[in-house]
Amino acid sequence: MRYRIKHLTRYDYSGSAILSHNEARVLPRHLPWQQCVSSEWQISPAPVRLRERADFFGNRVAYFATESVHSNLEVVMCSEVITRPRPALDIFARITWEDAVSDMAQCLRTGNRECIEARLFVLESPFVRQQQSLSEYAMECFGTGRDLLDGLHALNQRIYEEFTYDPGVTTTATPIHEVLNNQRGVCQDFAHLMIGCLRSLGLPARYVSGYMETLPPVGQSKLLGADATHAWVAAYVPGWGWLELDPTNGCQPDERYVILGWGRDYADVTPLKGVMTGGGEHKLTVAVDVVPLDEDEVPEASFRFDD
Amino acid sequence: MQPRGALDPSLRALLGTYSDSRAVESPASDIQEPAGSRLYDELLGDDRLPRAHWNHLLSELAALGPEILAARSEEVQSLLHENGVTFTPYDDDPGHVRSWQLDCLPWVISTEEWDILEQGLQQRSRLLARLLDDLYGDRQVIHEGLLPPELVYTHPGFLFAAADSARLIDQPLLIFHGSDVMRDAGGQWQVLADWSQSPSGVGYALENRITLARALPGLYRDAPLKRLAGFLQAQHRCLAGLAQGRHDNPNIVLLTPGPGSAGYFEHAWLANYMNISLVEGDDLVIREGHVSVRTLGGLDRVDVIMRQITDPWCDPLELRPDSLLGVPGLMQAARNGDVHIVNALGAGVLEHPALAAFLPALSQRLLGEELLLPCRETLWCGDPNALAVVRGSPDDWILRDITKPGKSFWVDQMGMEAARHLRVDLNIRPHLFAAQRRVKASATPGFNPQTREFEHQSVTLRFFSLLEPEDIDKPVNSRHYRIMPGGLAWVGEPGTPMMQSRIVKDIWVLAPVPQPHISMLRQAQGPILMTRDGKDLPCRVAENLFWMGRYGERLDIRARLLRESLSKLLQEDPQSDVATLLPDLMTALGVAPEPDELDKLLKKIEEHPRFSRLHVLARDRLLNLLSDRDPLGMPGVFASFVRNSRAVRDHLGDDSWRAISNIRQRCNAMGSTRGVVAGQRLLEALVIDLAAFFGLSNETMPHHYGWRFLDIGRFIERILATLELLKLALLTAQQPGIPLWEVVLSSTDNFTLYRRRFRSQLHPSAILDLLLFDETNPRSVGYMLKRLGRQVDRLPSQSGTSSYRNLENRLIIEATSALHLVDIETLAELEHSDAAREALTELLDAMIGPMAALSNAISHSHFSHVEAPRQLVTMQIVPGLDEGRAPVRGDRR
Repeated sequence: MRYRIKHLTRYDYSGSAILSHNEARVLPRHLPWQQCVSSEWQISPAPVRLRERADFFGNRVAYFATESVHSNLEVVMCSEVITRPRPALDIFARITWEDAVSDMAQCLRTGNRECIEARLFVLESPFVRQQQSLSEYAMECFGTGRDLLDGLHALNQRIYEEFTYDPGVTTTATPIHEVLNNQRGVCQDFAHLMIGCLRSLGLPARYVSGYMETLPPVGQSKLLGADATHAWVAAYVPGWGWLELDPTNGCQPDERYVILGWGRDYADVTPLKGVMTGGGEHKLTVAVDVVPLDEDEVPEASFRFDD
Repeated sequence: MQPRGALDPSLRALLGTYSDSRAVESPASDIQEPAGSRLYDELLGDDRLPRAHWNHLLSELAALGPEILAARSEEVQSLLHENGVTFTPYDDDPGHVRSWQLDCLPWVISTEEWDILEQGLQQRSRLLARLLDDLYGDRQVIHEGLLPPELVYTHPGFLFAAADSARLIDQPLLIFHGSDVMRDAGGQWQVLADWSQSPSGVGYALENRITLARALPGLYRDAPLKRLAGFLQAQHRCLAGLAQGRHDNPNIVLLTPGPGSAGYFEHAWLANYMNISLVEGDDLVIREGHVSVRTLGGLDRVDVIMRQITDPWCDPLELRPDSLLGVPGLMQAARNGDVHIVNALGAGVLEHPALAAFLPALSQRLLGEELLLPCRETLWCGDPNALAVVRGSPDDWILRDITKPGKSFWVDQMGMEAARHLRVDLNIRPHLFAAQRRVKASATPGFNPQTREFEHQSVTLRFFSLLEPEDIDKPVNSRHYRIMPGGLAWVGEPGTPMMQSRIVKDIWVLAPVPQPHISMLRQAQGPILMTRDGKDLPCRVAENLFWMGRYGERLDIRARLLRESLSKLLQEDPQSDVATLLPDLMTALGVAPEPDELDKLLKKIEEHPRFSRLHVLARDRLLNLLSDRDPLGMPGVFASFVRNSRAVRDHLGDDSWRAISNIRQRCNAMGSTRGVVAGQRLLEALVIDLAAFFGLSNETMPHHYGWRFLDIGRFIERILATLELLKLALLTAQQPGIPLWEVVLSSTDNFTLYRRRFRSQLHPSAILDLLLFDETNPRSVGYMLKRLGRQVDRLPSQSGTSSYRNLENRLIIEATSALHLVDIETLAELEHSDAAREALTELLDAMIGPMAALSNAISHSHFSHVEAPRQLVTMQIVPGLDEGRAPVRGDRR
């Protein structure tokens, strides 16, 4: 699939800000199944020293500062992305979840590099703290000797079925246990919840930030600006790799999902962070358009790769 | 030298019972030692005679004798106190400054032993530097399984933000660090901890050496010991070397959390010694990618930051968002190579308490060498076998929570509830704990000035390591480190933090031949020849000096007024409320009750046979000012004064600082004073102390911008106070007349002048002449306006050379014209003429208005107006993951 993505973040301040330093993670990541063919910044006021780099997790992150007096900050990222099917599961992905946990525990001795690297994602992180209730909730999907993949899908499905999508009830700071009690939240909450469940069993799980093309109701044209950033989960399957799961929609991400980046939790992949001087209170507006393009519009030869 | 086998009698007297006792009492003596072993003694060999390397020192001390040594100890103590060698916990209470005792008896190490120890420490520095490079580079040691990921990634010192992408600048990350070392009961060296973020102690070590050399000049002049002065010079070379290729004259700053932080004395000391600017986070701003200091002359670009702020607090954009100490965008500036931070952000991971367990293997892997200097036995509880050992004998270990640096658990000393929590935590998150074997230190002699004898101490030593300045540009595997030949020793059970110790010691590293004493005159060897008080004066420092002037003057004015008020309290008939000045005096001091509340308050006071109720009320309120910590009380004003002066510690001379020390003692003493007479006496002394302080400032501070701001602050405060006092005494007082006018004259120290000049009864016109118009009288408003005008004219102008007068000038002209243009005739017969009273009111108000506005105008034109930075996205900081309390920036006003 080929998408044109426009991601707008706008902060309106009640006063004037003099200086701001910002970090944006809104550049789609380069992956074997995902190519970011173009990306263009529209930042107002004009930024000073826009610098791109790769962060600890390999995500593309851009730093910029604004130094003129401004009462609002608008950051627009226009990118074009081509997605292909993700790697298919194969026999190497057949493993019981207990074996997976034990592979993780043994890897320092066995020297399995991939597993060693994945151990970071078993640890607690700022938004995902370990608690008893999480492992209890998870255990109902992971019976003795159960296949890891079956367990993952069951947990993904369970969260999808039992929880209500409700943008009104949570903030970025809602703790998981509250989400678990209220059974309501948004994609970010469900992703954190599922990550917490998996880590409580000793399974590595990471937070994936990105976009999803939402299909319009039949007969209607797709609404612009209706889409938002999305978040889902990737779980580590020892011997195979990272398997993505979307507990908000109870499905497995496919070509309609565009990845910005991943980390331990939301804090690692916040789309736009900033520290400013002055400004007072602020109001946030986010709008995302994911528009599918005809793939044949652009010949393959014009692909540009930044790295 | 006496032959071995016999002790010189004078030496025997000094050693006292030291050589008799073999068992050393210590709280940790329950730690099991191998049977039949004997505690290693630093001083005495197996033959119970002094080891050879102590002989020189011992014979010198024996020659002095215990009495003189005790007297010198006392002198050392008062020198330390006078120089303000202090540290404060995060606490702005001026009464809470702590200071330690400095033992006259140093800790001594022989040349041969030092060579071995030095090699071990140098190797350790190389190892730590390589490890740091790897952790923020390829992370081989993690990928190869040498260091478990959950050990590294959970430590708050490991900064994910510092570990991204390939190294942009190939410069050394670890420049300077400290290592805590002790000799255990068996005589073996053990490293207890490493300090890589802002290792404190170098300044204290040098200051201790200077102090001891002053108190014991004969002993220190010719001692065959290695000198320390070269080390900080090398450090300066190293810092300057990092900026090479950028400027001939690099701008190096020392970034401190501020006067509220524990090590502030040392930060100011080091900045002064190395002649670099002392700055706080507020002083720095990042524009166009460059880090700059906000100075009076504009932004002044910084090349190297020697930071004394720990990692997580340095940049609220990429690190802890709740930090108010750091500089937003600092990490990015460092990443781009726009500024060099020493040590690099992220170096804090080397302070990880569990690393010790892995260093021998890491040394093999990274250096290909055997680890020379052993660490204290350490277990990482993430390893099930290690956890089993710790669970089996918890009392042998000190548990450390990896996520909370500085937190230790002694299981046998914990309450039931706390121990239960720890067990649960250890069970769920064993990988977050390290266990350090409890150890017992060797016996070290110390001199006890009370008993005048040697006593046993257990001592921890901190040594400092610096990258060789010449090796900066060399590849990583040919970079070497030098160790300061000395350091800081402190008394306490192994693991006691330096700041919690009561006694510190100098460390003597013996040299094979006597070393010439290198003068360590402060600022003498700074290679940068430029003033730090010109236009490059940080705005914050100017602001602190200004407010120091205002509060210092306020302290003086209130001391004088209160002194006069207390004497009226003694002079007046305590039973009569007729013709009493007390209500007016309370008004002048700002403690008068509201008129409608007065009756209610008086009724509450019990009838007294000898004192009227009003007298009791006034006495109560006036005396309360001596101890009140509110902004009106003397200790309260002092707290504001000292808060501002601490923030400019590096701009004040030692003598000025001593004067502040006296003022502090005086104000502390006031807090516990109950009597009127004693209060008067203290106030009297305080006025003199303050005069000494301001006199010294005038004499020793360069008459540059810094001094001008101090002076402007003083005179704005004094003008306002004088005008208000005149208004009260001549216009609004309940009891106007000669007694009140006397108070005005005495409290401005003009009584004698008045008598000499007018030889008459007090008269309002004469008072006005003296206090308003006479420009030769330093207490007159006319004089003060002139002085302010001169000072303000010489401040750096914002608009260049334009003839346009700025607001500050206009305000001073406004007040001066009001004074100059007033028709003196209209002010005559003040006591009888309403018109004259009106004219005076108008005149005073015409000066009070502009003077009050002047303070704001100056602040607006010259001081930085830094708002706390705000976050666009409020991130959740989970309690428990890192409970570090956000240190606050001291508010200045």
